[in-house]
This record gives sequence, C-alpha cells and structure tokens, in this order.
Amino acid sequence: MVEIKYVPSICPYCGTGCGINFVVKDGKIIGVEPWKRHPVNEGKVCPKGNFGWQFINHPDRLTTPLIKENGEFREASWDEALDLVASTLKKYADTDPNKLGFYACARSPNENIYITQKLARAGCGTQNVDHCARICHGPTVAGLATTFGSGASTNGYDSIEEADFIFCIGSNNMEAHPLFGRKIIRAIKNGAKLVVADPRFTPTAKLAHEYMQFKTGTDVALMNGMIKIIIENGLQDDEFIKNRTKGYEEMKEVAMKYDLDKVAEITEADPEQIERVAIEYAQAENAAIVYSLGITEHSHGADNVMSTANLAMLTGNLGKIGGGVNPLRGQNNVQGACDMGALPSDYVGYQKVANPEITKKFSEAYQIDLPTTPGLTLVEMMNAAHAGDLKVLYIHGEDPVLSDADIKHTKEAIANLEMLIVQELFMTDTAAEADVVLPAAGWGEQEGTFTSGERRVQWLRKAQEPPEGTMLDWKIMEEIAVRMGRPRELFHYENAAEIWEEIRELAPSYYGITHERLLKPEGVHWPCLDPEDPCEPLMHKDKFAHPDGLGVFQALEHRGPVEVVDDEYPLLLTTTRILFHYHAAMTRRCETLDKEVPTGFIEINTEDAAERGILNNEIVKAYSRRGEIEIPARVTDDIKKGIVNIPMHFTECAANMLTNSDSFDPKCKMVELKACAIQVEKL
Amino acid sequence: MAVNVNDMFYAYSGNEAIKEKGEYGGVVTTIMKYLLEEGIVDAVVAVEEAADLYDAKPILITDPEDVIKSAGSLHCGTLNLAKFVSKYLDGARDMKIAVTTKPCDAMTLKELMRKRKVIEENVIMIGVNCGGTMPPVPTMKMIRDVYELDPADVIKEEISKGKLIMETADGEKAISIDELEEDGMGRRENCQRCTMNIPTNADLALGNWGVIGDLAGKATFVEVCSEKGADILGKVIDAGLIETQAPIEKGVTIRSNIDNIMVKQAMAQREKDFAGTSGDILEVFAEYKEEFSRCMKCYGCREACPLCFCDDCCLEAEGPEWVPGGYTPAAPFFHLTRMVHMVDACTNCGQCSEVCPCEIPVSKVWATVNQKVRDIFGYYSGVDNEEPLPFTEFGPKSYRQY
Repeated sequence: MVEIKYVPSICPYCGTGCGINFVVKDGKIIGVEPWKRHPVNEGKVCPKGNFGWQFINHPDRLTTPLIKENGEFREASWDEALDLVASTLKKYADTDPNKLGFYACARSPNENIYITQKLARAGCGTQNVDHCARICHGPTVAGLATTFGSGASTNGYDSIEEADFIFCIGSNNMEAHPLFGRKIIRAIKNGAKLVVADPRFTPTAKLAHEYMQFKTGTDVALMNGMIKIIIENGLQDDEFIKNRTKGYEEMKEVAMKYDLDKVAEITEADPEQIERVAIEYAQAENAAIVYSLGITEHSHGADNVMSTANLAMLTGNLGKIGGGVNPLRGQNNVQGACDMGALPSDYVGYQKVANPEITKKFSEAYQIDLPTTPGLTLVEMMNAAHAGDLKVLYIHGEDPVLSDADIKHTKEAIANLEMLIVQELFMTDTAAEADVVLPAAGWGEQEGTFTSGERRVQWLRKAQEPPEGTMLDWKIMEEIAVRMGRPRELFHYENAAEIWEEIRELAPSYYGITHERLLKPEGVHWPCLDPEDPCEPLMHKDKFAHPDGLGVFQALEHRGPVEVVDDEYPLLLTTTRILFHYHAAMTRRCETLDKEVPTGFIEINTEDAAERGILNNEIVKAYSRRGEIEIPARVTDDIKKGIVNIPMHFTECAANMLTNSDSFDPKCKMVELKACAIQVEKL
Repeated sequence: MAVNVNDMFYAYSGNEAIKEKGEYGGVVTTIMKYLLEEGIVDAVVAVEEAADLYDAKPILITDPEDVIKSAGSLHCGTLNLAKFVSKYLDGARDMKIAVTTKPCDAMTLKELMRKRKVIEENVIMIGVNCGGTMPPVPTMKMIRDVYELDPADVIKEEISKGKLIMETADGEKAISIDELEEDGMGRRENCQRCTMNIPTNADLALGNWGVIGDLAGKATFVEVCSEKGADILGKVIDAGLIETQAPIEKGVTIRSNIDNIMVKQAMAQREKDFAGTSGDILEVFAEYKEEFSRCMKCYGCREACPLCFCDDCCLEAEGPEWVPGGYTPAAPFFHLTRMVHMVDACTNCGQCSEVCPCEIPVSKVWATVNQKVRDIFGYYSGVDNEEPLPFTEFGPKSYRQY
C-alpha cells in the first residue's frame, strides 16, 4: 500500500519566504501542494513555487565525490576526497591562512552557512569568508547599517498592504519576488497609489498608477532631485528630523544642488512627473519605499540605498506600519547568510571582527587566535586568486562562474588557484572548474532554518532522505575539520537544532528565537533578544539601531556608472532575473520551468532593433570589452531606448560574459552588474 | 438491519473514545474504522489537523487505529480531496478507498467519476454537511481584530444559527456571519455562493443539522443516498458499532429548512456576484479582462483545479504558439483554454482563487460561466448523474465510455 504525507517547508528561491507543503509518496518528494496556513503567502506561490521542486530527484544529481586529474574528473571515495581537501587546507592554515578563501551558500539553511564560516574561522583561522550578498544586497547591508544602524528591511512584508503610497524603484517584484508583488496588488486594492521607477516597463510597472522611466544608474540624482522638491515645498517632517536624526544640514546642502532641470537631464525622466511623485510621496500619510537589485547592483549601490534612507527619514516614514525602506532580499536565505557571519567583517549577529573584545570572544569559542583585521570580500578573493595571492577557494553551493561579473576574469582567477573545492548538488559551471567536487544533500533533504528578507526565521522540515552517496553540508565540514586535526567536539552536532543552539548562544539578536518557537508556522523575526519577547517585525519604532539611537543622513553626489556608452559600445546593458528561473542549477533542471523558458534572450528597444535591422527572435551578436555572446533578440517597447537587458540564468548566452568586474563600490565592494556598455549586431 | 436509499436516522457511535473525540456521536469515524477493519477499503482519505486548528492537511489512513486522528471538524480545512484522489492516488485505480467528502468534494469526485478519472466502483463517499469553510490566515486575523481573541486560545469554532462562534477556555464569543461577510471576512467567497450544503450526491450524508430532542449534540443525522451507502450503514449497524433512532419529524423539517435558507442566501450571493456580467461567455471574460491582465502564469489554478486533469497539458510551452512561453501576463487564451476544459464541470470549489498570487477572482469568473451552463444546458455539475455532460456529449447519440 502506498504511503503519502504532506511535509511543510519553505520555498528555496527568493527572499519572500513562502511556505509550501511537500507531497511525499513512499519516501520520495513527488510534488508540492498549497500550505494555506502559512502567514506569508497563504498557500499561493509563483511558478517556481509550483514547479521548483522538480530538480530534487533529477538524474543529474551528484552522488559521488569527484577529483580532477589531468583535466578530467574521476570518482573518488569520501575518505580520499576529504583527506585531500583537509590536507590542502591544513597546509595553508598552518602557514598562511590568508591564502584560503570560503564562499558560503545563500540558498542553504543557516546552520550550513554558520558551519561554513566556522570552518573558515575556527577550522582555518582566516576571516576570508563571504557570499553572494556582496554582489546582491551587500549595499543594503552597508547602506542601511550606516544610516539606520541595521542593514536589514525596516518593516515586515505585511506592512506594505497598509501603505497609502508606494515608491518602488529598481524592483520588479512581480517577477523577482512575486508573493511580495501580491501584497502590492492588495495594497492597491486597499487604495494605495503605486509608482514604479525603472528603465524597463516591467510586469510590476504595468500594475502602477504611474510608471517613471529613467536611465539606469542615475538613482542618486533622481532621489536628490526629489529631496530638493520636498524641501522647497516645505513637506519635510521637521520634528522627525530634529528628534530622530542627524546630518540633515550636510545632506540638504548637497541635495539642493540638484535642480529639476539638471536631474531631468541626468535621469532622462519627465521633470513634471519627478516633481509630482516627490510631492505625493511626501504628502502621503504612510509612504513606503520598495527597492531591490536595480538599486544595489551598481558601483554606487550603497549610495543608492542611502538615498532611499534619506528620503524616508526626510519625510518621517520610518518606525511605522505602511512606511519604511523595504529592500527585497535576493535569495531565500541571503538575509540569513549575512546574519550567520558569512561576511569577512562580521561574526554571527553582525558582531564586528574589528572589535578586539568581540574577536576575543570568538577566539575563545572557536579555540583559535583570530585576527581583528577583516578578511577579503568575495570580489576581492577572486581578484586575489587572479593575482596569485589566494591559493585555495572553498565554495559551498555558489556558482560564481555564471553569476559574477566578467566570466572570463572569473575563470582565469580559478585557473590560478592551487585547489578549488566545490560542494554542490549538480555539475554547475563553477563545479566544472573545480579540483574536488563534494556531493551534498539539498533542499527537502535536511532540517534547518531560512531567514527571509523580512527577518523571519523559519524552520525547515526534512521530507525525504538525501540520495545515497551525498552528505549533509555541515557533516562534510565536520569531517574536514577533524581531518585537519581540529577537535571533533568543536564541529560535532547531533542535528541542525544543536547548531541553532550555538548560534543563539553566540548572537544576542537571535537569543530569543528558541527551537520550540520556530516550530510554529509564523517562525520568529529577529532582532529577538528574549524568548518571552514577541519580536514584532517593525524596526526603528522609537529609535534607530545606532548606539545614540539616531538615524544618520548621508550627503551623496551622483556618480553614475563607471563604464559609459560611446560610439563603439552605444548600448547600456542591465541584467535581470526572470520569473521562471532562479539562477540556473536548480530551476533549469525543473522540467516545467525549463519548457517555459528554455534559453536566454536580450531585450532591445524597437527603435534600437530597427536601426540594426534586427527582428524579434533573431539570433544576434552582443559584445562588450570583455566578451561576446550570441543570443536571441526580444524586440520590445517595454525597455527604454538605449538600454538592453539580458537575464543572467543562461550559460549558453551568459550576461556575465559582457559585464564589468573592474571597478567596484568602495563602500561595499559591489561590482557593476547592472550597467556596462555593449554593442548589439545582426549576425 | 435492512437500510434503504432515502432512509434517515439519528445515529451515534457505540465506542466511548470515538464519541468523545468525534463530533455529534462520532459516526463518521466509526464507519471509516469499520471499513478499514473489515477490509472493505484499503485506505481512508480524510483531513487531519496539522500545525493547529487553522491548518488542515489530507491524510491517507491504512491503520484503523489511526482513523481517530481525523476526527472532529476543521472550518479552515479548505482542501478539495478530489484532487488528492485523482492526482496522488491515481483515481483509486488500484485501491479501494473511502473518502470524507464535503459537498464540493463529492461533486468534484462525481464529475471525475463520470470521466473515469476516478473509479466509481472503488470509492465510497462519506458525505458531511458543510455551511462553508474559512481561509486560515484571514480567519486568524479576524479572530485577533474582531473577536479580540488570541487565535491560539481558540479550542473550537462552530457555525450555528447564522453565527460564527469561537470557543475558548473562558467561554464563547458569537458574531453574525452576515455582518462578518459584509466586511469581507467569514467564509471563503466561493462558499458564500455554494448551493450544495447537504452532500446527497455522496453515498451517505451526515451532519448535526436536524438533531433535536435528547440526542441534540450527541448524535448525527444520517441520510442514505445510494445503494452503496445503504449497504455500508446496514453493516455497521448490524455489527453493533452504531446505535440508531428514527429522526424526530420536526428535526427533519429543521434540517431541510436550514438547507433551504442557505441555498436561498447562496442564490442571492450569486445574483450579486454575477450582477456585473450579462450575456455570453465572451462578455463575462471581457468583464474580467483587467483582472486577468495581472496573471503571472504560475499555473497555480491549473495545478489546484481538480477538474484540470490532462496528463499532457496543452498549455505548457512546447504547446500552442498562441500561449507563448515565458511571457507575462499569460495570454488570455491561457484562461480561455482552461475554461473550455473545465467550466461545464466546475463545482465552485474555490481552489483556483485560493492559490492565485495575483488576486484574480478566478473562481467567481468560472462560477459565473458555470451558472450559464446550468441555465442553458440544464446541467447541475457534480449533482446531475443522468444528464449528458454538456461540453462532452450531445446526448444519447454520443454517449461514450471513458
């Protein structure tokens, strides 16, 4: 007789944190069904929620460790692979730990991420640990920490339904965070006005009352212009500015230089519209700002983020439901990956490496002397590898070859390593470049927690056994640490809940989130200092998270993209994610999603296409100073003239063959993924 | 004991433990346990409380001792078990099952049986009355905001005499359903226009409506609706597991009055829901075009629709050029195609609206069209057994076996 059960879990794609029910038949996941009791999505999901489980038992799953010899992979035993990895790590840990680097996986549960940074720090003595937030919402973490004292979303996601006015900039949430998009639809039905500012007339823009088209990379100028209009009309919240902030005058001095004419020239947006939107934003009772990677993925990403913070503080739209600055975090657990200390400057719970007392606490807990100098960021690690200064890179479930800017540069850097270790489910573009591949258990096959973009920590249940031959990530890392000669008790846990206990003990902002509380469908929002505290999602209610409790305005000048268009490369390329995929390794192995969108495309404005004689669906050549690809054209009026867009999922026509890794944001080390100069030609 | 179709009883379990956990005498639980113990069925499909009172999930029970897990009612159990049977149990092709069915579950199973997507001979439907179900998350919000109670403190919710009652350790709080629904709360919107409250299309129809006198609250009203139902009930009574009494005449009237009032309210709701539309199917579609234009093509309505059962769906991207892959909003044809496939059979079960991330009132649209099917073809989906399927058959000239 067949056995069927439903096992509740959390979706592993975007940062919205939707609940689903796995359907498990005779011990195998065979589908998902709505989990209507889940507080975030009430049983509703996007295409990825409906079909994103299909990769789980895919025949491509890696089930045996692989070691590369003479350019070819051969199968290896776990013992051999683990010994090889451990001896290589140990060689540098004993001599020069800064030659080692670690990437943690923002799709993986918190517990795996915590152990990854622990292997780096407690196992190897290096602070070189980072993850893909660096090229995603790193600017949010840096920008909002500078302004508000905490680098996370100020409000819970439900809050948006109570907004009167929503200014959405650089977020196409109907594709990238669809169940947050649903909350925007509900807000509109509740009477809110929606303005979407984007170079593309996206599905989200199509919902808007006003669509503001503007040029990629001119966000600071746009928002400075809005600030000036608000101040000139006397619509700033003087009381909020006086009581709760500092730095207003300095900010004002810079913003007042941004005359509407000048702003319209830089942004190419309609000046009357800018003025109208600024005034309506300031006049609304509860006005919310929503943004995502359109704001962050620039060489001035942190400045963009801080501009949104300036606007919100100027109008007193913080610490209240329906207002706030709402960054939509990328991956399901990229919030958690930051929280867990997979950052070269922070231990778990944003405790600073540079603080000697904090580093002393962790040196004791981890039984090793740790440096107080922050380690290298993800981009810096790759550059160090390129320069020959980093020798070993340990990648836990990330795919930088596909997702980092400038694929050629990434591959050259990897080729320069003594050893690349990749812990993965599938043979990704990055795994293919590895020296050792370790097959890991995946989503649905383990317990642990995800933290969504609204800081909601949620418990994951195991629905099926991992495939034979794979291991849990944290167990792989335990075995490596022990083989390196580290004490087993430092890395040994009976289960994921035990790892969570250690996280609670070390990170005050998580202390109140007990395992028992996590078993409820609501999960718990951090900060949560006390198990008795209800821990509501709204932050900065009466004071900001800085020690003096004040928000800090930032004076910001428009800088714009580092690489600008010229006669040779006259089109500005932006990159995006589409609704039906999330990166590549998982969704491209989901049959329904793959059938829906089997390959990439370049969106090009109808006029730009006509000038080049390009027809819809025609394969064209796109090239930049870094590389060249052949890709089908999608000719559309939905993108601004002069701007083109490529979704980043597809290795056969990879956007990042063209993007620029040369210059990055000094404030957060973000590379410019959303603006580079290219040319498109008929083949 | 000889039991016949159309017989009615007051019934209650002979087993004390079941009587305690099950509601109104624990008859459903007793019958299900008996069917498993005697090997009459291989499995029972029912609903179980998951995280709490607001979280329902289907459960496939093979051990008779586990039947008790499904005892009691969950008003937030908004599932359609017909989908579970057709999708995950292969339509009971290779197993005999008994299913606890709300009227919409029974209606949908009937439709699937007529198309041989569920094997009628292998399925026993134990029907339970339903005055409507409530969406879990909005209901919890309503309990907090309107009842001013902590949802976690509610031990039981009940619909009685037009009121929605929340019971806590400290007592009861009742609010008129009409008032709640005026303000957009209460039952799911499809439930508000549901015209089938007593599942006489199942094999047995059970519920507390009409139980008065000494047995009020302690027994269930049972109506025998099919030969299969008569056979089962006879056996359970003969086995001494269920005690029965003839129903009080006035109780029978009360039960039928409750049903009539609810049907009348549902018809009024239909008038309201369908008011903006007139004319034919295309006009209905045109009326809702703006709402459909938000569709993100998640396929959720197709996935949730118990009557969307094709193994190889023509809407997937390798299919028609007129619904191109990867484009949102999905082409109107996406919904029109689905409509042609299911709307004659649509049972207003509400699953499509419940899963729609774009807040498109899909269930209401298809109920509007299905009402026209009812009006024009005289076919009441899920209830009429003899009429030809309007979009499948022309009548006696074209009956076919599936």
